[in-house]
Amino acid sequence: MQLAEGYAGSWLRNLGFATETSMQTNESTARELRSKYLRRMLEIRGAFETGASGSATLGARTAAMDELVQGLWQQAVESDKRLASGIAVLAIGGYGRRELFPYSDVDLLYLLDARVAERDVKNSLRRISQELWDGGIRVSPATRKVNECERFAEENAEFTLSLMDHRLLIGDAALYNKLAEETFPRLLERERKAVVARLMQLTVERHAKYGDTLFHLEPNIKDCPGGLRDVHVCSWLATLQPATDRNGSGSLDDSEFRQAVEFLKLVRCFLHYRHQRDDNTLDWEAQDAAAETGVGLAGSRPPQADAAYWMRFYFRHARSVERNVKQRMEDATPASAPSKLLGFKRIRKQELASEGFRVERGRIALEPVTKGANGLFSDPANDPGVVLPVFTAMAQTGAALSSDTEERLSQALPLLSNNLEEGPTLWNHLQQILTGRHAGTALRAMHTLGILELLIPEFHGIDALVVRDAYHRYTVDEHTFVLIDTLHRLEGPQTGSIAEWATRFGALLRELPHPALLYLAALMHDTGKGRSTGNHALESMRMAQSVVGRLELDSYESGLVLGLIGNHLEMSAALRRDIFDAETVEAFAGKVQTPEALRMLTLFTYADINAVHPDALTPWKAENLWRLYMATANFLDRSVDEERVSAQEESELVHRVAALLPGRKSDVARYLEGFPERYVRTRSPEQVRTHFAMAERLAEDKVQLDFRYSPTMSELTVVTPDRAMLFANMTGALAAWGMNIVTADAFSNRQGVVVDSFRFTDTFRTLEMNESEHVAFTKSVHDVMAGTVSVETLLSGRRKGRRKAPKVVVETRIEFDDEASSHSTLLEVIAQDTPGLLRGLSLAIAGQQCNIEVALIDTEGETAIDVFYLTHGGTKLEKAEQKKLREEMLVAVEENVR
Amino acid sequence: MQKIEAVIQPSKLDAVKDALVEIGVDGMTIFEARGHGRQKGHTEIYRGREYSVDLLPKVKLEVVVRDEMLDKAVQAIIEAARTGTIGDGKIFISKIDEAIRIRNDERGDFAL
Repeated sequence: MQLAEGYAGSWLRNLGFATETSMQTNESTARELRSKYLRRMLEIRGAFETGASGSATLGARTAAMDELVQGLWQQAVESDKRLASGIAVLAIGGYGRRELFPYSDVDLLYLLDARVAERDVKNSLRRISQELWDGGIRVSPATRKVNECERFAEENAEFTLSLMDHRLLIGDAALYNKLAEETFPRLLERERKAVVARLMQLTVERHAKYGDTLFHLEPNIKDCPGGLRDVHVCSWLATLQPATDRNGSGSLDDSEFRQAVEFLKLVRCFLHYRHQRDDNTLDWEAQDAAAETGVGLAGSRPPQADAAYWMRFYFRHARSVERNVKQRMEDATPASAPSKLLGFKRIRKQELASEGFRVERGRIALEPVTKGANGLFSDPANDPGVVLPVFTAMAQTGAALSSDTEERLSQALPLLSNNLEEGPTLWNHLQQILTGRHAGTALRAMHTLGILELLIPEFHGIDALVVRDAYHRYTVDEHTFVLIDTLHRLEGPQTGSIAEWATRFGALLRELPHPALLYLAALMHDTGKGRSTGNHALESMRMAQSVVGRLELDSYESGLVLGLIGNHLEMSAALRRDIFDAETVEAFAGKVQTPEALRMLTLFTYADINAVHPDALTPWKAENLWRLYMATANFLDRSVDEERVSAQEESELVHRVAALLPGRKSDVARYLEGFPERYVRTRSPEQVRTHFAMAERLAEDKVQLDFRYSPTMSELTVVTPDRAMLFANMTGALAAWGMNIVTADAFSNRQGVVVDSFRFTDTFRTLEMNESEHVAFTKSVHDVMAGTVSVETLLSGRRKGRRKAPKVVVETRIEFDDEASSHSTLLEVIAQDTPGLLRGLSLAIAGQQCNIEVALIDTEGETAIDVFYLTHGGTKLEKAEQKKLREEMLVAVEENVR
Repeated sequence: MQKIEAVIQPSKLDAVKDALVEIGVDGMTIFEARGHGRQKGHTEIYRGREYSVDLLPKVKLEVVVRDEMLDKAVQAIIEAARTGTIGDGKIFISKIDEAIRIRNDERGDFAL
């Protein structure tokens, strides 16, 4: 206020000097104009603070500016008659659009007729700019001849773009009309393609600068994706569209979009007044202030309107703008020339049609609504059997939804929720979406449309959630999607500074038997942040518990998912300790417990660090992560035999099992005694209970089998008294049925009861194609184990198929270690994974009269990694025995490969 | 003014940082570093493949202190970072001619 009064006061004083020269009169008039403008600015601010809309504020500043510029111009013409004709003053850019934000630059264009020489008028024009600068206005003046406006320069596309919003302020109207009606339309006609291409390129680059996401914790509301700049891009692209396809999709009139634009304008005014300059960063303090005053909440401010609530409001609007701009950009991409810019090239090749929808030109469109024979209309948008595959197609191809499809899907939500099936059907669809290369794209679209929350309501709590720390850059939901994107990027070839490590971690990812579980855990890992209990890992795990229950994951799978979520911070925590210290490794190994869980947690941690912000994962961190992984993996294999459950064990593990069998605690303890702890840790209490029950039935039948079939990975557990050749016969029986053993372990307790579990794939789909064979399969395994059928008979019925040449040749490595265990010799075999290999190895072991105390069988791609803890006559193997066994093993591997 | 450069175990960073803050040194620059001294490297075998661990992860910390603070700071680092085993790290000290705060052109000890 003081400033305005100061100017007004000096102006009043100047009135006393009526006899001054015309120059001085001019000066005082200029001051008068400026002070009037400044008074107007104060009034406009006052109006804004008492509730004027964003548009009204912009319009008012524009009008005040118009008056000021016009006044200054008239005054300039009076003192320099050369300005009187052949010059037009134009407002361009934001000013041309009548969108002058409180501290925005004022773009002026002095348009000159061909006859006017710039140097003649230069000084007068400069004086006008000077006056504006003195009034505290940031003016960006440009002087151009009409014919210069017809040129399009790629490196200065901004000028052509700002010219699209031109408006005559004052001056030569005929000259202006020439530009507006002839010159500029001609330019657009001629250079349309180049302008569109450049505009799209600038937009893509700008989006990339902001990590291609609008979900920043402190977004720049002008330049971020979904910001006001994108609103301009929408309107420019609409103007640039050839008149013939102006009826295209993605309407600028859609009310949601209009509301979003109005909201963004309001917020930008708010920020300008707050920062007192053209600073468009919605920082934390500004978020608090906006929530406090309820900016844009239109009087309906609910009591819980804290900054997080308000930011969700912001993100919803930004999302609507982003959707619109994406749509516009895609519409503007020519069909014949796939744009490398937008990465559609690959997608276009994959045209595909499925029930209820088709993929064309990188867009997914639902089939139209049809009228059935019963006279009822049926819309594929209501059918989960169509909708979920739509997102699978999205995840696989990276294609976007057409606007009609988006519209119909969001309207179909209530009906869709009625028709939705849970359990294995839903899990099946989700798996396909999660493991698709473009899962992030599909999940984001599902999240935007509310479909993800429909499937997993637990996700709602972290919708656009801002958790303030100086480390994370994105909102919690976006962080989750970036994490999933990072994992998928590990699948392809790697470049950049961490390529070396990404390649190693990529190999781990490819070797995961159940990648979908990792992705599910990733999706759920931060959902607990929506509840402020302080321990979000635990809270997320609780929430995921009901999710895995609804999806009906089996206990092994849910154990992996829940364990990963609950432990998701453990590896990062271990990295802060001395990773070369055996104790750190041991403590960490105790938390992850199995190699599969370790692999998943390692990959998860890699992606989690990377999703915090783009530079968070340095080669240094990647190397440390790899070291810790390696040390822990080695430890897990080498420590199994030492830690056995003792008779007086009162651990949580024993209690959990005992709780399932009331009154049988001492029997349970007797059963568990002598098992390696790994057995109890890697099984759920329910599984241990099943095995316990099987052990109790051994009196009736000394071979107890538990078979769980699954098309991807079946599991067979045998509980039986220990005896020679046991492991060899079991592997032989599975090989005879053509089953490929992926992982296995064999443990025994003090009483000599053996629990061997095999997880295998059905290479020839015998079990998948013939359900009747399930019974025959278990019977046959049973008979071999019971000794009524010899495994040789079974194997002889199997013709040896021709082996495919391996993709990677693995060198055989056989190592003995007497240090790892106090009473067994550890044998580690690394070899080319071939069917029947395990049978060959276990025969060689049995041939040397060695007893397998523990076996851990694992496969990584083409490499078989088998660890056996062996004894001979109850003690460790002598050096001579080791030498003999090594030779036998080499022969076995050699013969099997042939 | 003296510059202290300390190469320490990453796991000791928090302890060293706290020790320095306690004696009143609160500005420092930390680098993620890899290297080896006499500790040398070794080879790890993982699943049949060999990975040479020749450069070990370290953290390098730089602080510039007033001359009279030097001994105290060095002592604080030593106490916090020492485990007594090989690989604890090293400290290097050098003289600094001038320090300038960019914001307001303050110089010398004031700029620290």
